[in-house]
Formats: sequence, structure tokens, C-alpha cells
Amino acid sequence: MTTSPPGSLLTAHDLRKAYGPTHALDGAEFSIHPGEIVAIMGPSGSGKSTLLHCLAGIVPPDSGSITYNGRELTTMSDARRSALRRSEFGFVFQFGQLVPELTCVENVALPLRLNGTSRKDAEKAALTWMERLEVDDLKAKRPGEVSGGQGQRVAVARALVTGPRLLFADEPTGALDSSNGERVMELLTEAARSTNAAVVLVTHETRVAAYSDREVVVRDGKSRDMERAV
Amino acid sequence: MSPRQWAKDLALGARFAVSGGREGWVRMTLTAVGVGLGVALLLLCTALPNVFAARAKVEDARFDYAYSAKTPPKADNTFLIAATDTTWHDDDIRGRLVEPEGERAPLPPGVGSFPGKGEMVVSPALRDLLASDDAELLRQRLPYTITGTIGESGLIGSHELAYYAGASGLKLTDVSPVHRLTEYGKPDAKPEKTDPVLLLMVLVVFVVLLTPVAVFIAAAVRFGGERRDRRLAALRLVGSDSHMTRRIAAGEALAGAVLGLVVGTGFFLLGRQTLGSTEVLGVSVWPGYLDPSPTLAALVAVAVPVAAVLVTLLAMRGVVVEPLGVVRAARQRRRRLWWRLLPPLAGLAMLYPMIGKGRGNGDFNKYLVTGGVLLLLIGITALLPWVVDAVVVRLGKGALSWQLAVRRLQLSSGTAARMVNGIAVAVAGAIALQMLFTGTQSQYTKATGEDPARVQMQVEFSDRKPLSGVEREFTGAKGVRAAVNLANLQYGDARRDPENSNGLTVGDCTALRELATLPSCKDGDVFVTRTRSHYGTPSNADEIALVKPGRRLYIDPSYGGDTTERGIEALWTVPANVRVVEARKDSLQNYNGLLVTPAALPAKAAPALFSEGVYVRLDPSVPDSREYARNVAARIDPLAGTYSWSATQENEKYTSIRTGLYVGSAFVLALIGASLLVSQLEQLRERRKLLSALVAFGARRRTLSLSVLWQTALPVGLGLLLATTVGVTLGSVLLKMTRTPVAMDWASVLTMTGVGAAVVAVVTLLSLPPLLRMMRPEGLRTE
Ligand SMILES: Nc1ncnc2c1ncn2[C@@H]1O[C@H](COP(=O)(O)OP(=O)(O)OP(=O)(O)O)[C@@H](O)[C@H]1O
Ligand SMILES: [Mg+2]
Repeated sequence: MTTSPPGSLLTAHDLRKAYGPTHALDGAEFSIHPGEIVAIMGPSGSGKSTLLHCLAGIVPPDSGSITYNGRELTTMSDARRSALRRSEFGFVFQFGQLVPELTCVENVALPLRLNGTSRKDAEKAALTWMERLEVDDLKAKRPGEVSGGQGQRVAVARALVTGPRLLFADEPTGALDSSNGERVMELLTEAARSTNAAVVLVTHETRVAAYSDREVVVRDGKSRDMERAV
Repeated sequence: MSPRQWAKDLALGARFAVSGGREGWVRMTLTAVGVGLGVALLLLCTALPNVFAARAKVEDARFDYAYSAKTPPKADNTFLIAATDTTWHDDDIRGRLVEPEGERAPLPPGVGSFPGKGEMVVSPALRDLLASDDAELLRQRLPYTITGTIGESGLIGSHELAYYAGASGLKLTDVSPVHRLTEYGKPDAKPEKTDPVLLLMVLVVFVVLLTPVAVFIAAAVRFGGERRDRRLAALRLVGSDSHMTRRIAAGEALAGAVLGLVVGTGFFLLGRQTLGSTEVLGVSVWPGYLDPSPTLAALVAVAVPVAAVLVTLLAMRGVVVEPLGVVRAARQRRRRLWWRLLPPLAGLAMLYPMIGKGRGNGDFNKYLVTGGVLLLLIGITALLPWVVDAVVVRLGKGALSWQLAVRRLQLSSGTAARMVNGIAVAVAGAIALQMLFTGTQSQYTKATGEDPARVQMQVEFSDRKPLSGVEREFTGAKGVRAAVNLANLQYGDARRDPENSNGLTVGDCTALRELATLPSCKDGDVFVTRTRSHYGTPSNADEIALVKPGRRLYIDPSYGGDTTERGIEALWTVPANVRVVEARKDSLQNYNGLLVTPAALPAKAAPALFSEGVYVRLDPSVPDSREYARNVAARIDPLAGTYSWSATQENEKYTSIRTGLYVGSAFVLALIGASLLVSQLEQLRERRKLLSALVAFGARRRTLSLSVLWQTALPVGLGLLLATTVGVTLGSVLLKMTRTPVAMDWASVLTMTGVGAAVVAVVTLLSLPPLLRMMRPEGLRTE
């Protein structure tokens, strides 16, 4: 048993998760400090997404423990975990996380509104973030009417609008070409660093991983730290 | 959770319902139209009690039959009226001849002024019918000039065929159908007690017709369910907890239901106007009759939104909307069977105590019947998803189209089951009712003793017609093969107060052959039957002894000293050729023992020969033969009644309940068809992207169309199977409750499932064009 490094924001220990005969996670370990950007890498099907989902509290692991700020995530009620997602976590996925019915600015404002912020204030804050991610001109469009890269930037804006302490990104650039992908990564890391948000970034592109402070490799459901050769 | 948060979440959900651009509006419109159709039908049902009451009120108000034996004396407020109802093809025409006897004679309801002789006032529908090209025969039968129209207050429906014709010289006699009255209206309309089994039927008809509507509304509020689940998953991801998510979903459903109420009210108003001016299965009403009772309408207005929210919450209870729904459409959990079996079993348990009750033991418990039938039918909606699930996981291999369909169903069997629920419930109910109707039919049908193969129509004259020639009027008419005309009179062995007297029947050879087996017959012959049909004395030996050749008898003798009762007293010497013959077991009417052809009677007897009716044999190869015969009858005697013979006669209430069921089923089926179409389109819309993707990489349209077809056919087939099982069970229980032997009526099972399948087939055909249009690669980009 490894003790969680002092001062870490989120720590996971000995995570196991099986889907039938498939052991998606098989004793994975993970920890991240406030403001740190950690890339999770590994071959397809190795369990990266599963690890991220467990860390974010959206998928309960079969066993193991996850502590966020000293609180155990695995035993938390749904309402508490939802509240965490609402106020302290942010999410960016490869696609599909925007609500197609809502306009882009409404999508970005959504987490604030769930928290009880009034519509006007929420949309004002949303617009500020959209400006930072250079998509404020898309505010009245619906997700179906914008390009993939634009959509991802809207998703990043939404993930950051609540001022989260931890951002989960699962292949945020997976569907983008390299220049678009780099732009999204630049904006994302810049915004994260400016708000001191930590980022868990799942990717299999080394170019994307280069934006991180540290890399973790997942193989067959087991994780290990990669020392950077710089 | 604070009410404020509740309101906020509901409002957010409502906002989701109404926002969302074109896609959102399409979905919202579909839901509103779906719920609206259901609401309109419910509102229509709430108007039904009013319809019955309004029709009964008119019927009572225009009632014109003298109940009491006492006829009022002629006065300035009396009128004579006679029913001259007739039939045109299969439609009944209510006809009256009226003759005011004084200045103050009241007008019939809905009539502005008395028609003069040779004139008539008609209902709008009859006016149209008379004006149509093919009503020539009817115009001949009603040779009056139209001088006015009967208003709404005198008619029970916009399409009722009715007329009042002016008359003069109507005769008020003991036998005539003419009544003298001072006013219209039924003096004391007392409600009759209805047979418990008929009440049971009415109840079951209502439950069976309304349950599919409710099921359908429940399905309609969940239109677009898959997209919504994804949207809710997206909300979960950004941190709404499961309670919030449910409230948001409920808010969405609420918005749909409320909009549906509005649309439904519109549909209802439209339908009210349309129904008020059309005729369904021979029944028509006025728009004004279709005013919903306020309490029931309010109940609908409250129940629909509440039910929408409840249904959503219930449905969401099963599916845990997980944040990951945005990236993964994982297979749902396996459905559990045990609780799904509870509703139908509970339903059976509620009906069970009433088994063997029958008709003789008072009314059935309304609540138990309603509850039991309802639970059984609702049970289908609980069982069907499980059945679809259980079957579909075992399928898989096969052609590409089959595979696509099966895999799709495995992922979302719920949506498929939801789509079929309505039709399955309707078919199950229909099967059960049909079993109940067929099973009890014999109890409500009695044999009339009439043999429609021998005689198709019987004409009864309002008063005596001279015998000779009446039948020739008929046989001369088109479409009439033969007419049988008989006269009955008395004879005795003395001119006055005879010691022995009997009836004798006069008719030509054709007519007499309908009564007895005659070895040979010519005009002038006389026959005595060996047995008698009357008076409980089977042997006719006395009469055979009386009617000896050469014996002097008197036709129409007089009785008592009273001169007013004097008969013709015609002397008749029994001819030498009188023969004893066998009466026919199936004689046309009760016969007298003495059968005489006209030429065998003395000329003096002729005035005593009257015809009271004619039996008509029609030529089935001549179209409208019935109408020709009716016209002859009307020409000879406008007050004549004509009756078509049939071997059996159904209880009127029984018949009207069944007609009600058919009318209702027509509506429910139309509704279900419409709803199916809507949900089919909805399904297609949800799959548009996938379909165009498949087309883009070269899937053939035929394959895709077939897969859509399978996707519909599989759940429909399973649904109908389940419906048959439940329907037959319910039908058997109902028959047992009425103590009727349970017999499987496969014909009706097949008919009902066939109708269900046909509706689905039509809907699928209708949804093909949009499907083909959708399957263009351009569809890829539209989200
Ligand atoms: N909901 C699920 N049901 C069944 N198996 C699953 C499910 N989610 C993941 N798996 C399995 O768990 C394993 C790990 O999946 P995961 O999505 O974590 O991989 P990944 O590393 O993210 O791969 P990729 O780089 O391709 O996204 C895979 O073998 C996958 O098939
Ligand atoms: Mg992954």
C-alpha cells in the first residue's frame, strides 16, 4: 500500500472494475495535485476511460478507494457526488456532451443554472468563458450547427465556467485535426492554469500529452507513472 | 427539497420541452398531437352521458303514442297522428301522418307549421336523400311536396331520416295505428331495470375502450424518449443529481401534457363539429349533445398532466440515467418478471369472486369489474417490455436487415414495447369483449319462428282491405315472386247464435298451400285439415263431422239479439268435393281447420272477405326488390307496416351496446393508428443519423427498409401474442362470471388480431416514404 502523496487533491488506490469477464481496471493507482495537469496514456481498451470515469465518480469501482480532498468518493451518496460534479469538477469528452436542444451559450451556462444562478448572470459568465475560448460568436447556435473543434471549445468553456478545481478530459481532441486539436489544448491548459484547476487528461497522442506536467500509462488495467526524460 | 427548487427544476424541464429549434418543436408537436388526440377522445367520452340524455329527451318530447286506453274526444286542441315508419335499404325512416283537428292543436317538436294534405316537413338528411339520384323509389313512396324542415329539437341526430306528412280523414278505429292526442311527450318515462350482464358489458366496453387511450397518452408524453435520455445524461454529467433529473423530466412531460390538453381541446371542438354533421354506423348526433360534463372534463384536465408526470417518474424509476449515457448507450438492465406479473394477477384476483354469479344474482360490483379489467389490461403494458426483452435477447443471427433490427431492439426494447402497448391493450380488450358477446349472444337472441327462406316480407294493413286483388298488386310489382293473401272469417250451423261455429280461412291455391299439403287444388275446392292448430285441441274430428257435403252452413253469422253486431249471414252449402288434408307443420300462420278457395264461397260472402296482411316472397335477383314491395304497400295503404322476416331477433339493448362498441372501437383504432404513425416517425427521426451513415457507406435501402419493418413487426407480433393470451383469459373469466360456457371463438381472435396487424401494416406503409427520404447521406449532418 502506497500512502497518498501529501497535499494531493485526488488519490485512487487499488481500483478494480470488471465488465463481465473483462477486467477494465485491475489494481490501478492514481494521484493528482492541485493545479497539476496529468495525462493518462495507453493503448486502446487498456482502461483509460474507465479510470477517468471512476476518478470522477460517475462509475463506481468494484473495489478500491478514491479520496477527493480527504473525502472518500466511493461511499458518497449520489446527491453528494452530483453536487461535486456541479461545483468542483468539469468534464470535456470526445463528443456528445453538449445538450443538442440548447444553444451554445445556454449549454455553457447550464452548470451554473443547475447551481441556482439566475439565467442572466449565468449567461453573462458563460459568455466571458466563451470569449476566452474564442467561440463567443457561436453563442446563439446549437451544437448541431458548429464544427467539431468549435464544439469542443464550447465544451471546455462549459467545463470551466463553474471554476472547478479538477477538470476531466477524455480525448478532448480525439475528433479534431492536429492544428485544431493543438488550439483546443492550448486554450484548455491556459485556462486551467489561470484558474489553478487540475486536469486529468486521457489521450493516446504524445503531442497532446506534451501539454501535461506528468504522464501516467495504463496497460491492462494497471497504471504506472512515466518519468519524463526532460 | 424546497418547493422553489421543485418549481425551478420543473420549469427547466418545461423549457427543454419547448426549446430546441426545429427538432425540439417537431418532437413537441408530435407529443402535443398525440396527447391531444387522446384528450379529445376522453373529452368525447365525458360527453357520452350527455348524448344519451339529450337523445332520450328528444325521444320523450316527441313521443306520440297513446298509452291510456281512453281516447280524448275531438276538440280544438286535438290532433290525429299515425306512425308510418319505413325503411330505405338499411336505414330507418321515422314517418308520421298528422292531422290537426282544431286551431290549438300542438305542433310536433321542431316543426314550424302543420304540413297540409299532400305536403310534408322533413329532416335535413331526408331532404338530401330524397334529392339524390338513386332515391327514385323513395320519392314514389313518399309522394308529398316538401314544405319545410324539421328543426334540431325534433331530431335525435343530424342524420336522422324523419318526416311529418299532412293528412286528412285519418280514421280512428280499434285496429288502426292512428292515435288522437292533445300533446306530445311521454307522460312518465320510468327507467327500466337493465339486465346485470348488459350492465357488465357496458362497463367492460368503457374500460376496454378507454384503457388504450390512457396507454397511448402515457406513450405520447414519452415521445423522443431516447434523445431525452441522452439529454438527461448530459445534465447528469454536469452535475444534476438523480432527483433533479427526474423532476426535470417530469417538467418536460408536464409541458407536453399541458400543450396536449390545449391541442386536445381544439381537436375536440373540431371533432364535435364534425361528428355533429356525420353519421357513424347509423348513429348521428347534434354538436350540442357533445358538451362534456363539466366535472368529467375538469377531471380530464387534471388527470392528464398528473398522469403524465406520474408515468414519467415511474418510467424513470427503472432507468437510472447515468452521466455516461452521453458517450455510451449501454444495454439496459435485464427486466425482472415478478412485479410485472402483479397487475394482471391482481386483476384476476379482483374478478375471481364474481365467477359463477350469472344474471340472476343482482348487479356485478362495478368497482371490482372496472378495477379487475383495468389491471388485466394494464398488465399487458407491464409484461410486454419483459416479453420483448426475453425474446429478443435470444435472437440475432440472420440477414443483415434482421440483425440490424434485432440488435436495435436489444438496445431499446422499451421504446419498441411502448409503441405496441396501445394496440396490444386494444386488441386484448376487443378479443375479450368479442368472446363475451359471442358467448352470450344466444341469451339475447330469440327465435322468431319466421322462415326468411319462405317469406321475406310481411305487410300489415292498417284496416281491412277487400281480399280480392290485393295480392295481385304485389305479384304485379317488380321483384315480387309471390304474394300470399289470406282472409279469416267465422261460420256456424245457424244464421243466428249458431250452436257450432268455427273460423275458416280463405285464400287461393298458392296461399292455402302455405298452410296445408294439398294433393291437388283448383279454385272452388274446399279442404278440412285433420288437425287443428288452435284452441289446444289437436284433433279436428268435430269439424270434419260438421263439414259434410251438402250441409247448410252460414258464413259470418250474427250473435245475440243486438242488431249492430249483425253479420252477413250468407248461406253456404258445403260442396261435394270437400277433402280432408294434412296441415303443414310449418304452416305460415295459425290456421283455421276449414280452408276454402274463393270460388267455393257464395257471392254474398264477398263483402266479408278482408285481408289483414300479405306475405311477400321476393326475387333476390332483382335489386331493390324490397323497396318495390314497400312501395306497393304504401300505395295501397300509407299506414301499412312492412316487416322483413328474419329467423332471429336480438335484444335491442344488446344490439345497441354492440353498436356502441363498434363505434368506439373505430375511434380507438383510428387514434391508435395515428399514434403509431407518430411514434414510428419519431423513431425514424431518432435514427436518421445512423440511417444516413449506413447509406453513406453503402447499405442498400432495401436492407434498411426491411430492418425498419422487422423492427416494427417483431414487437407487434409479440404484442399481439400477449394480447391474445390476456384477451382470451379475460374473455373466459367474463364468460364464467356470466355463467356462460366458455368456448374458444377463434374466428374473433383472428379477426381482432388481424385488425390490429392491419393497422400496423397501414402505418408502416405510410411511414415508408419519409423513411426513404431520410435515407439520404445528407441526413448525416443534421443533429
Ligand atoms: N460499459 C461497458 N460494458 C462492457 N465493457 C466495457 C464497458 N466500458 C468499458 N468496457 C471494457 O473495458 C475495457 C476498458 O475500456 P476503456 O473504455 O476504459 O478503454 P480505453 O483505454 O479508454 O480505450 P480507448 O483508448 O479506445 O478509449 C475495454 O476492454 C472495454 O471493452
Ligand atoms: Mg477511452
